[in-house]
Amino acid sequence: MGVTVLQQFPIVENRTGPLTIDLLTKRISALGATQQGQFLVDCETFTSIQQLGHQRTVHVLHNSEQPATVFSILETGTKTIPLATDGLFDLLMTKMNNFYTAKKQTKVESKGPRFEIGDFLVKLGSVTITQNFKGVLVEVEYKPCVVPAMCWELMREFLQGFLGSSVPNTPPAYLQNRMQEIYTPIDTIHQYLEQFTMYRKSPGMRT
Amino acid sequence: MERDLEQLHSALNYLKVLRSNVGQVFETVSNGLGANHGEEGKENKFMIELQELLTTVNNNLRDIETTVSNLTTPTGPFNLGNTSYLSQETTQERQALYSQLVNSYRWTDKVRDYSSLAGNILATNSVSKTYKTLSTTKRRKTQTSNHNVPPEVIESLITSIDRLFPDVTITASRPFAPNPIIQASLGRVLKSIIAFKGLMIEWVVVKAHSESNDLWTESRYRVLRKVTENCHAAMCHFHSPTMPELAVRSFMHWFHSYNTLFSSPCKRCGNYLHSNLPPTWRDLRTLEPYHEDCK
Ligand SMILES: [Zn+2]
Repeated sequence: MGVTVLQQFPIVENRTGPLTIDLLTKRISALGATQQGQFLVDCETFTSIQQLGHQRTVHVLHNSEQPATVFSILETGTKTIPLATDGLFDLLMTKMNNFYTAKKQTKVESKGPRFEIGDFLVKLGSVTITQNFKGVLVEVEYKPCVVPAMCWELMREFLQGFLGSSVPNTPPAYLQNRMQEIYTPIDTIHQYLEQFTMYRKSPGMRT
Repeated sequence: MERDLEQLHSALNYLKVLRSNVGQVFETVSNGLGANHGEEGKENKFMIELQELLTTVNNNLRDIETTVSNLTTPTGPFNLGNTSYLSQETTQERQALYSQLVNSYRWTDKVRDYSSLAGNILATNSVSKTYKTLSTTKRRKTQTSNHNVPPEVIESLITSIDRLFPDVTITASRPFAPNPIIQASLGRVLKSIIAFKGLMIEWVVVKAHSESNDLWTESRYRVLRKVTENCHAAMCHFHSPTMPELAVRSFMHWFHSYNTLFSSPCKRCGNYLHSNLPPTWRDLRTLEPYHEDCK
């Protein structure tokens, strides 16, 4: 598991989601990437019922890269508590649906083709909220390096070479506070949640 | 000489056949009449069988005599030198020494042949891992052995390297005492597993921290496989049979420059990536980073 950067790719006027994925697939293939299957990251959000006191939110996420793990992030209002558990956590959540109820119409997922190019892993995800297309998220992982500060410049060069000027010169907000720490799978989950939250807030397509 | 040996071998072979056939004759005689000779005229059958066996023995004997007569008699007694005293050895377990001695003599003979061949080949394309002067006429002052050094010397070398660089942590293990295998972690960037042979670096493999510590599987990352390759080149470059400690120290100094493997751009083209790899080469003198194609 190496440092991963999640990046939103803008959808230009009158270009659909599949067309955008197609364009990026062509670009990355031209650079020498080979497709290695598909990927899927999904997120469902639960909120506590009123009787439990002040409201807490649990985001439950799955990542096909770690298929045996269920990630969850609990927001208490003052604290954010991440948790990595095995598959049984999903069953636990269904048992608790009297206390934690799933928010209506909020199931978000990002899925699409997965590419390998050198030591990079590139995933082109179409984001949908309850089947409605919302935008494109590009995930790039540089597998050999585990400290964001060491390889950010290198990854920026890769991202900009492949996505163009839409890539900012500064790391994603979530990473900025953790540049010197060892990168772990939960960090990827945090980045997805950050992006998913923005998609949920914006009506229509995010461009 | 070669023909003589061959004849000697065939003579010995015939002797072996003769012995086994004579053995069979005695076996048949000692078994005497048996159920396999049937009831009717069993004596006759037995006699015929014996006769056949004796004819074979006769033929074998003739074979031996002809091959032996073809052998050339050695001129005078063999000079065995000091080894002849081995025959006076009385303790049982030392009597086998002679054949061992012959074997090791043959072995050294072969080593001499091969090394002179190798010497000729290496003289035409000299690598710095071998002595440049192969002439025997002017011997340099005898080299101290680099292969066979007391473990304390290697130990102190390793500790001194460990102290030299604060961001290099070294752990040593000795699966093949006294030659240690050290694991040098370069910050959080990478680690290398280095096998020593005495005071010389024998093998280097570079891996990610998450990968296993064994010496024989290469890294699953392309960039680290490239660095391993370059380490092998540098290991040969820095190698110096006359100053092994300096060689190890210079190698480690060079290796240390990989602490910026992911974070420094190429000195020549100014980019971080070239064919999706960071600058994997470090200049041997200036330690500046270069891409494989930019050096
Ligand atoms: Zn370059």
